[in-house]
Amino acid sequence: MEIKFIIIITVALFFIALVQLMKIYDLAAKVRGEKSQEKLSRSENLLMANLMLVFMVAFFGFIIWLISKYGSNSGLYQAASAHGKDIDELLMINWYIILPVFFITNALLFGFSWKYYYREERKALYYPHNNKLEAVWTIVPAIALAFIVIYGLMTWNKIMYNQEKGEVVEVYAYQFGWIVRYSGVDNTLGKADYKMVSSSNPLGVITSKTIQDTYVEIDQRVNDIDSILSSNINADGEYLLPEKKVDKLQEEFDRLKRRKYRIEASIDRKDNNSTAYESSNDDIVVQEIHLVKDQPYTFKFRSKDVIHCPWFPHFRAQINAVPGMETSFALTPTITTKEMRSDPDVQQHWENINVIHNERKRRIGEPEERVLFDYVLMCNKICGAGHSNMQLKVIVETQQEFNQWIENNGDKKRLTFSGQEVNWSKTKSQASL
Amino acid sequence: MSHDTHHHHKESFITKYIFSQDHKMIARQYLITAIFMGAIGIALSALFRLKLGWPDDKFPILESILGSDAAPDGLLDSNWYLGLVTLHGTIMVFFVLTGGLSGTFSNLLIPLQVGARDMASGLLNMISYWLFFLSSVLMASSLFIETGPAMAGWTVYPPLSVLAEFQPGSGLGMTLWLLSMTVFIASSLLGGINYIVTILNLRTKGMSMTRLPLTIWAFFITAILGVLSFPVLLSAAVLLLMDRGFGTSFYMSDIVTSSGALDATGGSPILYEHLFWFLGHPEVYIILLPALGMTSEIISTCSRKPIFGYRAMIGSMLAIGFLSFIVWGHHMFLTGMNPFLGGVFTFTTLLIAIPSAVKAFNFITTIWRGNVMMTPAMMFCIGAVSTFISGGVTGIILADSALDISQHDTYFVVGHFHIVMGMTAILGMFAGIYHYFPKLFSKMMNMRMGMAHFWVTIVCGYGVFLPMHFLGEGGLPRRYYENTNFPMFDHFLDLNILISVFASIGVLAQVIFFFNFFYSIFRGPRASQNPWNANSLEWTTPVEHVHGNWIGEIPTVYRWPYDYSKPGKENDFVPQNIPLDDNEEEH
Repeated sequence: MEIKFIIIITVALFFIALVQLMKIYDLAAKVRGEKSQEKLSRSENLLMANLMLVFMVAFFGFIIWLISKYGSNSGLYQAASAHGKDIDELLMINWYIILPVFFITNALLFGFSWKYYYREERKALYYPHNNKLEAVWTIVPAIALAFIVIYGLMTWNKIMYNQEKGEVVEVYAYQFGWIVRYSGVDNTLGKADYKMVSSSNPLGVITSKTIQDTYVEIDQRVNDIDSILSSNINADGEYLLPEKKVDKLQEEFDRLKRRKYRIEASIDRKDNNSTAYESSNDDIVVQEIHLVKDQPYTFKFRSKDVIHCPWFPHFRAQINAVPGMETSFALTPTITTKEMRSDPDVQQHWENINVIHNERKRRIGEPEERVLFDYVLMCNKICGAGHSNMQLKVIVETQQEFNQWIENNGDKKRLTFSGQEVNWSKTKSQASL
Repeated sequence: MSHDTHHHHKESFITKYIFSQDHKMIARQYLITAIFMGAIGIALSALFRLKLGWPDDKFPILESILGSDAAPDGLLDSNWYLGLVTLHGTIMVFFVLTGGLSGTFSNLLIPLQVGARDMASGLLNMISYWLFFLSSVLMASSLFIETGPAMAGWTVYPPLSVLAEFQPGSGLGMTLWLLSMTVFIASSLLGGINYIVTILNLRTKGMSMTRLPLTIWAFFITAILGVLSFPVLLSAAVLLLMDRGFGTSFYMSDIVTSSGALDATGGSPILYEHLFWFLGHPEVYIILLPALGMTSEIISTCSRKPIFGYRAMIGSMLAIGFLSFIVWGHHMFLTGMNPFLGGVFTFTTLLIAIPSAVKAFNFITTIWRGNVMMTPAMMFCIGAVSTFISGGVTGIILADSALDISQHDTYFVVGHFHIVMGMTAILGMFAGIYHYFPKLFSKMMNMRMGMAHFWVTIVCGYGVFLPMHFLGEGGLPRRYYENTNFPMFDHFLDLNILISVFASIGVLAQVIFFFNFFYSIFRGPRASQNPWNANSLEWTTPVEHVHGNWIGEIPTVYRWPYDYSKPGKENDFVPQNIPLDDNEEEH
């Protein structure tokens, strides 16, 4: 409290001192017979003009420093996907057009401001318009932009009209993490519905078993609520619980009943469930994304709660995951994790990152560790408190390594919804198109 | 228009200073409110920059300013981090650069420059200000509630902004945000209609549309954009309120919370995004055009040279205004919209670069072979043109849907829009304040402090936002509470410190402005009638404010406002109310 008081006093005194200084300055200016605050002296004008030039040099120097230090190695390296190379190439072409324009126009702006500073004996040129000149700088940008638009749209169309190829992998986003499901031998994801989502079925996948499980779960909760409510009621029919809690329970009760009714009406095919939802039988849920080099993939995205944005920076791929709709993005990884790690540039960069990383670890008193390059999936749309830590490792590997991973059953937590063994090495050959 | 009788009213303190219907007083009220909101807005950014620059350090100052809920032990809470980001964006975009910028300068300059006694409706004007004030209070008050302010980003996308379960700020904080914005929109509509009517109907004799100063054209187009687009935001906000409070599902579908699946079905958050960005993109130009309009005026005056390509400037502003309504989809390339639509939006967006380039080249040509008076206002204008160019060129990358795939929502975007929109508009606003201070308060601001203020501001502004482009190229997403969860971002630790240092200095440097501003209001030297030797009509009014602006007749206009250094004239300026000589061509 005292400290706050002292701070406030200090700030107040500081301002009072400033006001007094200003008064002295004003008086001194009057005594010296200086002009008011309306006219600049010649030397001041010249000083400001020179500063414009100094600023320009510093400004350009700063950018060149940034480009040399961070631009040549942004930390994402070469694109690790087929379409990513097109994006990077397009980006470079844009930079080659943009940077000269940026430097030239800024240089003209600051250069003219410096050169034509005010001198009383000079008279400015009366030059209100020049149609030819204006036509030039309408048409030249138009041509440059036409090129950028055409090239850009060609790349865009090439990337976006490529969505239905490849092995289908689902990424399901929630606050704050991802669940990944491979579509299995049939390359078709089993149907899923948000009404089926529960703790035992986080993706809401529909099978005859999950439907029954959901019914059981709902009935159980309905009974629980019923018994809570009925055991807390007195003879006059008044609840002994806080009103808010009763409302909440009743609302949940109604919602559960509606949910069950809607599952029965729109999802449950009764005796035909096993055939209607058979494509989920070979689906597998995994903890990491394993991808095979040069294999086309189509990622399908759903969201459980709010808008998320799956972002694979190294593959130059992202698209929003929106509750209520499915989005997709196709990509073909072209560099394995191992190849990337053995790239000399990447190695050098990660040496550097290790130094910085462990410097920080020491500073905050955490154990040091060796960090390695990995592809990663992160969230790129504001989604709440855990937005900055929605990460999932992505591993790109060869077909053999991938098969090994499957056969070793290395991923203990994977589930098959039907419980049957799946021969994953078959999956690949059937799915590739 | 005989408002002359008004002079004889004796005004009480309340009608003169508080519930004033005089456009000059309302302009002052807008400006001072906006300066206070701006102080809050930039202070918030300094606070969250502390976290981003030094992610592991504890700052007791955060706890003493924000309270122990927001920053226990001086470590900013991650929800509150998003709250600060959200309010920083909302306050700067709407309250400072929309309400503050248009509110101040449209109100001050429209009647003075078109030659009117006051706004078409003084009453609506007064209501407009007080609604703005109310909405400012509502927005600022959301910082003081326990669950914190809105935290879903300034775009407040549903479903994040609908349920308090998704983040605490979506409770009362979000309700206050929506109420505040609803009041704000009402204020901005009342103001906008008033500006349009005044410009169209109350121009003095001889003031044809092609003799209007470019400021007026800018305010005119801005007001039209606002009147056409803000109602759409209002509808978006009302539907969001319904989804939050009345069980509708305009924006909600297939959502699972911790208590199971919700009933909501059939809605779509994408609908909200469309409605929001239908305002959101014109909003960029609602912010930019007034700043660029004043920049045109000040650059011409201080270069002692007519603005180059007057008609092209009007044409490009009209083109920008029109195009701004058909580009909103470029904020949504990655929502899963039809790729063909994405292509169309890429095309329309890149078209905007053409009129923008024309404007930039015309500014530069105006300075070329001018006689440049380096007043603080002029320097801020040079800065604004520079940021308009620097931020504009990176916009070409973001407008390209294919490139947006790898840039969207990264720090590249943050750097881009802060330079092109934030800095250009704020530099333009500062330019306006320094240039029109004699008209606002009848006093002069201190020039040397203005110069110091300019240099620190431009250096720190670029120092903060240029490096952000490189963070974005490294894939760093925006609105991350901390970047330390990913070792791949560790090599940006020092760059983030650099940004935070520039940000802190830049924010502290605004104290110079604050001090200069308030000191000059009370103790600044008295201004002369036309301190910058400018041509437009506001400089023919008396120094002290009078109700009705001109004592006696409103001057008649004979020429455009840019007759600077006209050959054959003795002075290097010829005010608009001076008749043409025999045989003199207009321009």
